[in-house]
Amino acid sequence: MLSGLANPRQAAVQLMNFGLILSTAFMMWKGLSVITDSPSPIVVVLSGSMEPAFQRGDLLFLWNRNVVAETSVGEVVVYNVKGKDIPIVHRIVRKFGKGPEAKLLTKGDNNVSDDTELYASGQDYLVRKDIIGSVFAYIPFVGYVTILLSEHPWLKTVMLGLMGLVVVLQRE
Amino acid sequence: MASTEKITVYNVADLRATTDDALLNYLTSLGLIQSHTLLDTRLALGFSAFLLSAACFAWDYKLGFEATKQYTLVAVILYTLLNGALTYWIMFVEKGTIYVGKTKDGKTSLRVASDSKKPRSKGEAPVYKLTITVEDVKTKKTEKIDIERKFSEWFDASGRFVAAPFQTVLAQGVPLVGKLDPKRAVAAAPATGGQGLTKEQVAATPGYTQEILDAIASGLGENSSSAATGSSANQSGGKKRRT
Repeated sequence: MLSGLANPRQAAVQLMNFGLILSTAFMMWKGLSVITDSPSPIVVVLSGSMEPAFQRGDLLFLWNRNVVAETSVGEVVVYNVKGKDIPIVHRIVRKFGKGPEAKLLTKGDNNVSDDTELYASGQDYLVRKDIIGSVFAYIPFVGYVTILLSEHPWLKTVMLGLMGLVVVLQRE
Repeated sequence: MASTEKITVYNVADLRATTDDALLNYLTSLGLIQSHTLLDTRLALGFSAFLLSAACFAWDYKLGFEATKQYTLVAVILYTLLNGALTYWIMFVEKGTIYVGKTKDGKTSLRVASDSKKPRSKGEAPVYKLTITVEDVKTKKTEKIDIERKFSEWFDASGRFVAAPFQTVLAQGVPLVGKLDPKRAVAAAPATGGQGLTKEQVAATPGYTQEILDAIASGLGENSSSAATGSSANQSGGKKRRT
């Protein structure tokens, strides 16, 4: 198995193959990001605040371009609270004004009150810039893997290690 | 000469990879000088694509998505082109080439492409296919040689590679190699009937050491009933290796 590594060029090719797997995956993600104009075009639902529409672990696909119409009331959007890294998936329930400066209010379908308390202190409404995309499609339950990976970070190292091992042992 | 590493006889990719390696070693040992241009181009394409994506990762991580959107778009397009070029290179230019080289005097160049095929009928060994192009550098005349042999001709049943029969196939199939290795060129040709090597055939061939005979005998096991020119030590050696 290791005889393939006797030749430095062969070793370089093996290394390159592994590196290309990682970089292709990354570039595909970035490509999707650029097409949808969203920093995070695929998100996983982390809480049950949008039940029964979306459950914890659902995979959501986002689109962040307003080609045909502006973001409007009733759309399910994803936004990051200023300063926090956790994406929140809620529905727009109020819109005041028009254009990019319009004030938007969101609320989770399964929540009692709207998101005013979730916003940063001093912030009462969202604007279009805060939103990183509107949900246009979803796959149920598939995203639970990501939740597992984030709650048990050692799983990530295990997965990468396995991938690397498989590529080095197989010579294509 | 028999390799001590055993590989799975059912894994065609392994069979081919081991044979490819042996071919490279053999040709280099004959004094042919290998040209690495093909592989180097592939490495250059692949690594530059990788470096591009590493750079994209770096600026995206440091400066965020919104600020670097335009650069990321350019990077994605460039990466797609580089990867496409790499795939094109591997599929259409390399086309399975495992060796490119020329003789020491620079008069003849050699290009070897390998492929493997599933067995023609069930129960038979898979087939190793070589396409060798020999070119006279001055006259630019090329000669194409196709060699198709079963892997069982140089792998014994337990998965050990035996170099001598493989080298004989090459020496007798390619006149250039035969010229550089006259010893193998006159050795008895291995059986192409499909049974692989018979013990009598192997033992009667000059140039085989006891070690090789043992290795082959261990693979032939059941057929070692008739005494060949080998001594009884041959047979006991075979039995030992079977356990």
